[in-house]
Amino acid sequence: MRSVLVIAGNTFREVIRDRILYGLIVFAIMLLFLSLALGQLSFDENIRLSANFGFTGIHIAVVVLAVFVGSTLVSKEIDKQTILTLLARPISRAQFILGKSLGLTAVLAVVATGLALILSAFLLFLGFKFTPHYLTAVFGVWLEAAVLLALALFFGSFARPMMTVVYTIAVFLLGHWVESLHFFIKKSESDFFKIGGTAITYLVPDLEAFNWRSAPVYAIDIPSGQIVAAVGASTGWVLILIALTVLIFRRRDFV
Amino acid sequence: MSSKPTSASSSSPVLEVVGLRKSYRNPLTRKKLEALKGISFEIEPGTITGFLGANGAGKTTTIKCLLELAFADAGEVVYFGKKGLSNEAKAKIGFLPERPYFYDYLTGREFLKFYASISGRVARHELSSRITQLLERVGLSHAGDRPLRGYSKGMLQRIGIAQALIHRPEFIILDEPMTGLDPDGRHEVREIIREVANQGTAVFFSSHLLPDAETLCEHLVILKKGELIYHGRTDALMNQMASSWRVVHQARPGGVSEAQTVADIAEMQTCIDKIRASGGSIVEVSPQRVSLEEIFVKMAFDKKQSPEAQP
Repeated sequence: MRSVLVIAGNTFREVIRDRILYGLIVFAIMLLFLSLALGQLSFDENIRLSANFGFTGIHIAVVVLAVFVGSTLVSKEIDKQTILTLLARPISRAQFILGKSLGLTAVLAVVATGLALILSAFLLFLGFKFTPHYLTAVFGVWLEAAVLLALALFFGSFARPMMTVVYTIAVFLLGHWVESLHFFIKKSESDFFKIGGTAITYLVPDLEAFNWRSAPVYAIDIPSGQIVAAVGASTGWVLILIALTVLIFRRRDFV
Repeated sequence: MSSKPTSASSSSPVLEVVGLRKSYRNPLTRKKLEALKGISFEIEPGTITGFLGANGAGKTTTIKCLLELAFADAGEVVYFGKKGLSNEAKAKIGFLPERPYFYDYLTGREFLKFYASISGRVARHELSSRITQLLERVGLSHAGDRPLRGYSKGMLQRIGIAQALIHRPEFIILDEPMTGLDPDGRHEVREIIREVANQGTAVFFSSHLLPDAETLCEHLVILKKGELIYHGRTDALMNQMASSWRVVHQARPGGVSEAQTVADIAEMQTCIDKIRASGGSIVEVSPQRVSLEEIFVKMAFDKKQSPEAQP
């Protein structure tokens, strides 16, 4: 476990010191400012509009970070050959993958929390009424990003970074469409569509299960069972994807 | 630089390689390329072994197979008397890869701290002093707090050597450690290698720089197109490949010394017998040494050279 934490710590430092992260944070803060401006377009819904747009900004920033940084997290180590000195030390390949994913997951948590704090300052200024679900919404963004990161790591174990990004974004889009897919499967009369669609619902994580971003905006209550189920789903997907990544990575030659 | 490492099995080889084979497939043609054709050798504790071969001979592939960075198709690797590369064995090994690229966002100190932590062999209380000591030893005291992205190629090579030594390994594998270094840097690395070997650490290093290997290595492992063509003592190879022998003798004890040069060992024996038969005495017999570079070139064109030669 100590080795996993040492690698996680180094990965955290690697991403935190990367200029790309700061570019992304500046972009997210600009989106948050834009949310303030957009709020002014409405007479009576300005706070909700700002909050809604602000949460979308946090969601985009954290997802982009998970997909783009996650897709090069391991390939960069291989391309730069830093992995050679690392795996020559007393650590296993599984520990290496776990450490890398844990490090970036921690960065995702820090970025999501940081941006949520900035948004809360804006919303406080507008007179937004905070509920505990403000935190639940941010937590949902992080749960989704953790799944996307695990997906990026999985695709990155056999594909080049560009294709990894493409595959992960494809799953991201499908993942937000799974609920609608369930509806279409029910309505469809085609057996082929029913079988294919059902297969997709099992193979692709339902990312809408982590979407609680409307809850603090419209003061909607989220049943605790739903939160527990989402945590379980996110953890399950992450564990399965990490296990598959390790399986592929275990016998890989670094030539 | 450090105390002598304690080896559990100081008399047994630190590394035994038996019949190591590795092949790759061309991703386009699927044609199989045999990179290693069943090589066997061993490394004794506290010795310096040079690993030589032309480009593409299989040196880096061998090193990667030894460290399971690539997986051998067949063969056996025994570290410190135990089969396979366990974490216990890895903790005793230091490694510097060819063309090292390191985490350039770390400072020299952070970099060494990271590798020390991951090796788990440096106590927390001595970490800082160990890092300072090593930075000094590789001539980077002035750059310890600078990020590696600002380091020159030679500085990266030096910090790479420091990371290989940070946990006081019992065996270090260096892939082309002199590459990119100026003459001063090469001299410094040679001194470091000698120093760690004197402290009981076995050193196995690949190099294209044959003069360095000649002056530094007691043993040589030479590959040619994936096959082992020599494994044994450097001086044995030099003598074996010596082009001629010089026999110095005196017709009578205390008389004038005369020198005679003969072509090979058989001729040398005949010459000695003749001198003795005529009542003369032998003062000195020495091989007329050729350089390792000349031997290497000769071997590159010759067939297999006594791979069974033992230290």
